[in-house]
Amino acid sequence: MMSKNSFLANMRENNKRRLWVWAVSILAFVLVFPVYVALCIEKVYNSVEAIAKSYGIELANQVLYNSLIGEMQNALGFSWVIMLMTAGIALFSAIQGFSYLYSRKKIDFYMGMPVKRKKRFLIIWLNGILLYVFPYLAGLSISLIIAAGNGAVNGAVIRSAFIAFGVHLLFYLGVYHMVLLAVMLTGNIVITGCGVLVFSLYEIVVKLVLQNYKETFFRYYSYYGDDVTPVLSPFSMYAYLVDGVNRGDAGAFKYLIGLLIFGTALLVLSYLCYLKRPAEVAGRAMAFRFTEPVIKVLLVVPVALLAGSLIGNTVNFEPKSSMDGIGYVMFTILLVLVLGCAIMQVIFEFDLKGCLHKKSHIVVSGIIAAIFFMSFRYDFTGYDSYVPKPEKVESVAFIPEGSYLTKYSTYISDNGTYLSGQEYAERYMYLNNVEEVCEIADLSMENYNEVCNLIDRYQEHWSNATVIYRLKNGRKVTRQLWVNVNEERTVQLLDTIIGSGEFKEGYLPGISQNLKSMLLDEESKRKIFITYGNTVYREQMKQSDAVSFLECYCRDMEGVTFSQLKENVPISVLQINIEETVEVRRTRSWHEEIDIYPFCNESIEWLTAHGYYKDFQLNPEDVEKIQVSNYHYEISERMAEKQSTAAGVAELENVGLVGIPEAAFVEYYENQPREIYGEFEIDTRVYKSYSDPADIARIADAVYPQELIMDNYRWDDGDLQDRNYVVTVYFKSNSEMNRTYGVSASYCFIEGQVPEFVEEDTAYRGNGK
Amino acid sequence: MIEIRNVTKSYDKMKAVDNVSVTIKENTVFGLIGTNGAGKSTVLRMVAGVLEPEQGEIAIDGIPVFDNMEAKRNIYFIADEPYFFANSNAIDMQKYLTCIYPEFSVKDFYNYLINFGLNKKRKISTYSKGMKKQLALICGVCSGAKYLLCDETFDGLDPVMRQGIKSIFAGEMERRGMTPVIASHNLRELEDICDHVGLLHKGGVLLSKDLEDMKCNIQKVQCVFKTIEDEAKVIAALDIMKNEKRGSLNVLTVRGNREEILAIFATANTVFFEALPLSLEEIFISETEVVGYDVKKLILG
Repeated sequence: MMSKNSFLANMRENNKRRLWVWAVSILAFVLVFPVYVALCIEKVYNSVEAIAKSYGIELANQVLYNSLIGEMQNALGFSWVIMLMTAGIALFSAIQGFSYLYSRKKIDFYMGMPVKRKKRFLIIWLNGILLYVFPYLAGLSISLIIAAGNGAVNGAVIRSAFIAFGVHLLFYLGVYHMVLLAVMLTGNIVITGCGVLVFSLYEIVVKLVLQNYKETFFRYYSYYGDDVTPVLSPFSMYAYLVDGVNRGDAGAFKYLIGLLIFGTALLVLSYLCYLKRPAEVAGRAMAFRFTEPVIKVLLVVPVALLAGSLIGNTVNFEPKSSMDGIGYVMFTILLVLVLGCAIMQVIFEFDLKGCLHKKSHIVVSGIIAAIFFMSFRYDFTGYDSYVPKPEKVESVAFIPEGSYLTKYSTYISDNGTYLSGQEYAERYMYLNNVEEVCEIADLSMENYNEVCNLIDRYQEHWSNATVIYRLKNGRKVTRQLWVNVNEERTVQLLDTIIGSGEFKEGYLPGISQNLKSMLLDEESKRKIFITYGNTVYREQMKQSDAVSFLECYCRDMEGVTFSQLKENVPISVLQINIEETVEVRRTRSWHEEIDIYPFCNESIEWLTAHGYYKDFQLNPEDVEKIQVSNYHYEISERMAEKQSTAAGVAELENVGLVGIPEAAFVEYYENQPREIYGEFEIDTRVYKSYSDPADIARIADAVYPQELIMDNYRWDDGDLQDRNYVVTVYFKSNSEMNRTYGVSASYCFIEGQVPEFVEEDTAYRGNGK
Repeated sequence: MIEIRNVTKSYDKMKAVDNVSVTIKENTVFGLIGTNGAGKSTVLRMVAGVLEPEQGEIAIDGIPVFDNMEAKRNIYFIADEPYFFANSNAIDMQKYLTCIYPEFSVKDFYNYLINFGLNKKRKISTYSKGMKKQLALICGVCSGAKYLLCDETFDGLDPVMRQGIKSIFAGEMERRGMTPVIASHNLRELEDICDHVGLLHKGGVLLSKDLEDMKCNIQKVQCVFKTIEDEAKVIAALDIMKNEKRGSLNVLTVRGNREEILAIFATANTVFFEALPLSLEEIFISETEVVGYDVKKLILG
């Protein structure tokens, strides 16, 4: 039993030895915190003053309260400044509190005193927490008083401030106990610092090594779900927790529990190490001898493998197609192993001669690294040859890479949070046609070597897809496949897969129930702005209209197949912007683009009936002039190649091809001067302006707004913009478009659909002649 | 009483203390002697409860000492390099120790500071090495602990100070039965302070004896015998530990009390006879040479 008085007296005496830490903590929280709050208030008043001058005092007063509250929620809530201060004080406090363990003199003094070890631990540990809590609360109280004096406090601010305090305290405990464990395992401050770094980075390094090796050796490796963000780190838990709390996600609670468990587990470990730690280890590198070889091997092996992997990337080591460069990789791994073991031994012994000791550790590290390397090289785990048998698969999600099958869109969960394409599919796509997906996987594996030898897989119509197999035993298997989207059998399979309702449900944002729910939710305070058009000709659409339209669109998309998507380009797009205020001054927003294709008959009928539909992409009556620029990229590249050799330059000069085609240049740059132009650059651009109504009409029939058509990549290898041509449409000065859209608009041609007369007019003839 | 029984302690694979058994009785001044690396500090640190023995046990008044408050309250350990808080003065140390040792005598503490001429408000970091040792001793004496463990604390103290501390020890021993245990590598430093001495060498105890007993039981005699027969007769009767002959002069170190030895010499004819007092150093040399050690090398270098 320890008496209360003696305990408090000991606490007081211990605090006398920690005045520096108190000073830093007080400086950070009691001074910096209120000053920061005062500055924020001052900033709001200044901005409101400006509003008052411009828009009147009434509006300014309306803005003032909300701005102050929002600013206070930010200043007193979560911020990276407080997070950094918290981490710094935790580090300082843990090391300073137990620094006596590093010094024999201090150990002799403290451990010679009649104070039980557990009591001493409790006193130092508790003081380490108090010196964070008291200054934080004091700073917070002063800040709240300052804020209240300026009318910047309400229940939400107080709630935010105390939630943030609770989370910061948990984060503090996580970092504090992590550093404490490093102190207990080491015998001097430098090694403790290294230990803290190792604790903070080790998981990332190991995950990076695994990810790099999977990516290097496994043909079907998918990054999806293989995040390198550390799980066992107070920093990442804090980041997830704050993100979750800000989003109002109840799932954030698990990170709160995680942080609590993490902190508690490290505290228990630290305490056990403290009890077991012999006094004589003060000043030594490691407190426990048995940890030296373990830590050495655990550190050196991943670092050596990572170094090997980095060198492999530098020398283009591609074991999936050839083993060229393996020598460099092996040499690097070996070198780092030997050097790493030697350096660690020098650190352990504090003696340079130590580098020659414990050679057996190098051998053990080498064996472990070799087993690791071989397990990837020869795929001991069978990762790369594994395609689940259809009968063992419950359902599948097949996700064309990113969202390249459709245009830019965001995926929304049912509670309004962002999801990546893969996350959305994992949650909402339950394909029943498992056999087709497995067959595609088989085809991919059969033809993989072909893919490997291609210089540009995308150019050769091999597209990438992520497949998530949900097995009947509850396991999930994720693989990445290369799919030849022009191969007959693959197209048939894709027609079945992409043609299925389940695929569309998990892939097309336009038919998402979550989107529909948002549009239907009349009670929400969301700001929704919807336009329909081809991005140049646009009209605002009512929310209720959009809901009706999307119902038609869903029916249109029900029967659509991969081939149909591949063979068509969109004719118009429904653009939906949704903005929602989550907390004061904290909003989240979504932008959806839903492409409408020529085969969407019911949608087009609906649009026509409701007066939205326009049967043109460009109305010739609005157009004053169309300027077509043909860049002739192929010719330009060919010439650039020739220009790289002296003989090539001479040849080009002989035919008068070096230099700028003056006539075209002057014409084009009359209105758009360019500041710098390379002296020796070969300009292959040819420009042509059309103002004849007949020409304008013919071009208007063939062009699409540039924003409507994908410019450089389509997953299905469908039609893209012809990148050689830039079509600039100038609207008549008295036209409606000139007033509503602007002077000009950018259009494009589809590859292979350029009118012949335009091709002839803009053909390259060399030197502008 | 401090009982050290079969205690062993290693640092990594090197044995610093090997199966040591010593008993330190109360109310004596115990000197722990040994060369550098003999294990004196390790023994003291184990007795103080700083280090935990690998084998054996250490008990203070019958109570195991390691992490045991009941036992440790009776001990104050002064390390070879005493530690004081950064930027502290004597008052700060007193306040801390008062909080740790309930029996700490504040009055005595300040009296001793005055007597030793130490300024209580001066930062300890500005004290000389000797002053720091004095302050550490004052802290220890005033702590009220029964056993004061001093590791090389007396080395380097000037004779006046040694005398002062000796008298403080005497007073405290008389007043409350304090038992100082003093470790040193220098026999001459301990000679005038210790009642009982233990000699450590290479982690083991060579001997542990009462100084007075040792002094009484060993005599040094210089003599010149009249005849060879006289010499043979006396030598046969004595328990001789060492016999050096320089011409006709015999220098004998003999075990036994003075009266017995004089009686034996009285039976023979001597030309010259003188019984000399032995220094602690000489006693040790003689005692350890008997068991095969060259103490000159061990202690005197």
